[in-house]
Amino acid sequence: MKKTDKKWIILCSTAVAAVYSAGYLTTENQVSIEQPIHQVAKNIQTNNKAVNDGSVSNAQKNKLYKDGTFTGTGMNRRGSIDVMVTIQNDKITNVEISDFAMHYSESDIVGLPDEVLKNQGARVINVSGATYSTEAFEDAVQDALNQAFNTVG
Amino acid sequence: MRITKLYMDTVVDIQVVTRKEVKEVEEKINRAFLAFQRVEEACSRFSPSSELMKACQDVGRPVEISPYLFEPLYFALQIAQMTNGLFDPTIGKVMEEYGFNRHYLTGSMINSPYAETVTYQEILLNQATRTLTIMKPLVIDLGAVAKGFAIDLAARELIDFEGFVINAGGDIFAGGLNEMGSPWEIGIQHPYQRDLLVETIKLSNEAICTSGSYERKNQTNPSLHHIVNPNTKSSPNHLVSSSIVAPFAMMADAFSTVAFLLGEEKGKEVIEELNLKGLLITPELKIIRAGGI
Repeated sequence: MKKTDKKWIILCSTAVAAVYSAGYLTTENQVSIEQPIHQVAKNIQTNNKAVNDGSVSNAQKNKLYKDGTFTGTGMNRRGSIDVMVTIQNDKITNVEISDFAMHYSESDIVGLPDEVLKNQGARVINVSGATYSTEAFEDAVQDALNQAFNTVG
Repeated sequence: MRITKLYMDTVVDIQVVTRKEVKEVEEKINRAFLAFQRVEEACSRFSPSSELMKACQDVGRPVEISPYLFEPLYFALQIAQMTNGLFDPTIGKVMEEYGFNRHYLTGSMINSPYAETVTYQEILLNQATRTLTIMKPLVIDLGAVAKGFAIDLAARELIDFEGFVINAGGDIFAGGLNEMGSPWEIGIQHPYQRDLLVETIKLSNEAICTSGSYERKNQTNPSLHHIVNPNTKSSPNHLVSSSIVAPFAMMADAFSTVAFLLGEEKGKEVIEELNLKGLLITPELKIIRAGGI
């Protein structure tokens, strides 16, 4: 068997190393340079609840959206989703899914072959499939954006 | 600990098994997510402010680019050469025209200038100067490699934990061992019934990515999905699903797309030639196994 796979493994490990060796991925000390992202990350760690406190500084008056983290809810036929959307300078910097309660209807699982049922063990927690989109999450994001809308500006 | 966020138009879920302190775990997970953010900011073709889209505005002139863009693009071009253009990252404009042109968070549409005929040969990367030169107006789509690259960078951040899983919308890297001290069990989704599995496999320090025609369809033409053959401008339908297991997610990601484009026989050949493992599924639900999966 040919060992041409080595080439691709080397390319991948070189690619990962390139980001690190160039110092691109921030170290603890470098993090402070990345201000907006760092601040947002900090907000999320310290504020698990939405931080819509209503205070709007002068600097924020011309913005479309208030800065901060806002929660939104979306529903589709499979259930409901809560997201926390962080906005910094009118840019969405983070979307964390805080609650994911999607259900599959019972009719979907009637008539499963035994083999498949066997595979459905509780320990199977991750499923590889074609990349699913965020379609179901869009309403939740929009809901959060509506709350962030800067009526003062 | 488990945190889920949206990046790259998909749901990214990071789960860590460890006895380390919560603060350290949170920091590492945040850094792993930062890798997704950086790769998205560099490689998104949906955002005019991405490094990729800015670089594409400078036709005929070298533009210095960060490794977040350079590395996945270099990898994509190597795959393009290997497949003689069957895999081609200049497919971006075709994707835009097929309706894959909407930013998932803001809803804004993108419409880029382009030349009538483009191939990967119009993209020049200079390794010495770390520059990108595009020779014609074109749109680069890194959909088949960027997510894998972000997963590999994120995995590097989590490597010290006893176990972790990064699941980016079905593209997965499973590191170390699960809570029970065993390899992670990963299901492969049934292409027609999304809550069923066709197979469960055990992984440790390996990635699995699946390319399929069943999740992202064109709104008006159901025969078109988000994997497009650059030569025919149509979506191949010899397979409905192609899953690849590889040491790196970027490899699994790219070669699952390549196998999908190649179809049953040639796809299997390539998987075995490269010492990968794969599971291909035809529209009739015939399962083709390769590499001892």
